[in-house]
Amino acid sequence: MRHIIAILMQNEAGALSRVAGMFATRGYNIESLSVAATQDPTVSRLTLVTEGSDAVIQQIVNQLYKLVDVVSIEDMTTGEHLERELILLKLKVRLEQVDSVRGYVVRTGGRVLDPAPDGFIVELTASEAEINAFTADLARSAELLEVVRSGALGIERNARQLRMVRA
Amino acid sequence: MITTVPETTHRAHPLAGQKMSGARMIMQVLADEGVEAIFGYSGGAILPTYDAVFLYNEEQQRAGGRQIPLIVPANEQGAGFMAAGFARATGRVGVCLVTSGPGATNTVTPVRDCMADSVPIVVISGQVARAAIGTDAFQEAPVTAIMGSVAKHVFLVTDPDRLEATMRTAFELARTGRPGPVVVDVPKDVQNWEGLFRGAGTLPIPGYRRRMQALAERRLEPRAAERFFKMLGESRRPLIYAGGGVIHGDASAELVAFATAFDIPVVTTLMGIGAIDTTHRLAMRMLGMHGAAFANYAVDDCDFLIAVGARFDDRVAGVPAKFARGARRIAQLDIDDAEINKVKRTHWSHVGLLPEALSALTAHGRRAGFRGEFDSWHAHLGELKRRHAMNYDRDSALIQPYYVIEQINRLTGGEAIITTGVGQHQMWAAQYSDFRRPRLWLTSGSMGTMGFGLPAAIGAQFAHPDKLVVDIDGDSSIRMNLGELETVTTYELPIKVVVLNNCGDGMVKQWQKLFFKGRLSASDRSLHKKDFIRAAEADGFRYAVRLERKADVPRVIEEFLRFKGPAFLEVMIDPDAGVYPMVGPGQTYEEMITGEFIASRHKVHITPPGPSEMF
Repeated sequence: MRHIIAILMQNEAGALSRVAGMFATRGYNIESLSVAATQDPTVSRLTLVTEGSDAVIQQIVNQLYKLVDVVSIEDMTTGEHLERELILLKLKVRLEQVDSVRGYVVRTGGRVLDPAPDGFIVELTASEAEINAFTADLARSAELLEVVRSGALGIERNARQLRMVRA
Repeated sequence: MITTVPETTHRAHPLAGQKMSGARMIMQVLADEGVEAIFGYSGGAILPTYDAVFLYNEEQQRAGGRQIPLIVPANEQGAGFMAAGFARATGRVGVCLVTSGPGATNTVTPVRDCMADSVPIVVISGQVARAAIGTDAFQEAPVTAIMGSVAKHVFLVTDPDRLEATMRTAFELARTGRPGPVVVDVPKDVQNWEGLFRGAGTLPIPGYRRRMQALAERRLEPRAAERFFKMLGESRRPLIYAGGGVIHGDASAELVAFATAFDIPVVTTLMGIGAIDTTHRLAMRMLGMHGAAFANYAVDDCDFLIAVGARFDDRVAGVPAKFARGARRIAQLDIDDAEINKVKRTHWSHVGLLPEALSALTAHGRRAGFRGEFDSWHAHLGELKRRHAMNYDRDSALIQPYYVIEQINRLTGGEAIITTGVGQHQMWAAQYSDFRRPRLWLTSGSMGTMGFGLPAAIGAQFAHPDKLVVDIDGDSSIRMNLGELETVTTYELPIKVVVLNNCGDGMVKQWQKLFFKGRLSASDRSLHKKDFIRAAEADGFRYAVRLERKADVPRVIEEFLRFKGPAFLEVMIDPDAGVYPMVGPGQTYEEMITGEFIASRHKVHITPPGPSEMF
């Protein structure tokens, strides 16, 4: 089953490679991974999407907890949560198609960032399924030059906060 | 913001507020941590710290204080294993100090070895100056990247102001929770930097500390104890399976108290040897791939398996689904959440500090007046022990390795520190030696690093200068770190090195005979020219003897063990001697081969495992 896991970790040299390394050395897959600082500059938030049985996911979480830099972990999969992903697409659009492509993008909730037909750049923030559909639709009316996806970001739908603990 | 200094320091560090170099700070924290010996090899990027060690000891000498000896190996791998030997023999953090590049990479093997066996060491490695990092500078290696995948943690000190706190934190990380190796990579200019010494403070590691605190506070609740004793009450054939965690967690006394209180027999893993006195009436010795036949049969026959600080690894549970196949229930106590249900599903588990957990169980059972009905189980085990006892060809004209170890054991009485390399001799030593207490048996278990024995013996002898330390080694294993023979004599350590020489990689040959139709690819060394006696003599051993006749064994072993000072003994053993019993890789205990001299209770056909299982 697909799991989306949020990890808060200390912003230390090598911290990210330790997370990635744990997955590599123990043979777990990472489908997507995104990292950036939080409101606390010493703490980064990682959102990680992986696939595995319950036992495997439990092992992943347990092994992540053994990394010294890890502050807290939340497997958001089972709880109520929101997921969003950003996609940037560079398309080659035939001149006669430009208007219909633009119309499709806007109707779907995306934006055109650069209208040059040879390097037509659009963005969309949506769920993974919507992004997959968006990409597939555009591939039918234009040539996909580049696909740039952020990987999923997730947040829990409640007042709880992933714990930020100060020393 | 950088360091957390306790505000209510009762007594300030006498050097607090003094200006000193980073190198001196490293040395000062080592002294404050009570480090008794540093094992290491110098080089360009660590020179400032080596100078600080020199100056510190000079000062101590003038002031009549405690000096910290610096022990120099032939190779940094030796230094790492010396630190590991020290740590394994004492439970205290071993320290290794090496230079950048090759100095650091030579310690990768001991660092991984310590990680795999949960041994606390701190490795301090020099690094090229900060400005040169990433330029492929002379003797530069990506230590954080390399060590990050093998150590419990690794620090690269880029902010000199954090050096002091980082050093203290490294010790904290090494010894707390499930112990392990921590590497501190210190650029040369950080060692040369000068700043104010604070005398206290560690790095903020909030997540880790919170987890450690939770671990220390985790109590075995009465309800959990009740459920445990309900299962024990329903059991007629309970068995404790004790691993290295009992030794690392200093829980041996509590384990034995628990086992004796309720009359539960104990098998141990290779790493758990010594968790219970091997001569104790409840001790059923080692289980696993080369465990005693009676121990493995006990595992097959038990109906309730209680794992304590043990992790069902592949040398024990080659086929997890068929491991302890008669056990209706499995309980597991460990310090590490990640070990619960990792290999084998448990019916009851507790994560926490083992001494507290075992004491809580014992107290609960006593209060409840628990009495098990295990008499017929004990009678059965007694019969297994008698019928499937360890044995070998006692009438052979050749020197049998088992005989040599029995003779060593006769004189040491299970009180000596025994170190080993890896392979057949390691298993024979595990099978035929007694260990009356924990931390006497020092062996590379999980990693299986050949060459471990000699440097580990050196570290152990520094930890216990008055104890008898015997390195039981193999001819191939000892070659790996043979340079350390000279280290033994340089420091006049009274270590007894015995090499069981079977002219090759004995364990590899055993597998090749069993599974590769006897093709001894690159494992036979009978044509090699090595003269171990002359090598030992050249390294300054005044006692260096080759033992070739069976009749001489008792006499020579006695004179060897009683020799004052470093002693080297090479024993030419039966080159075809095998390690039995043997549970082949990926095979069940029912398929255990017991050899010609140990009775098996099953008819076993040797079937080579599939190539992918063969490790």
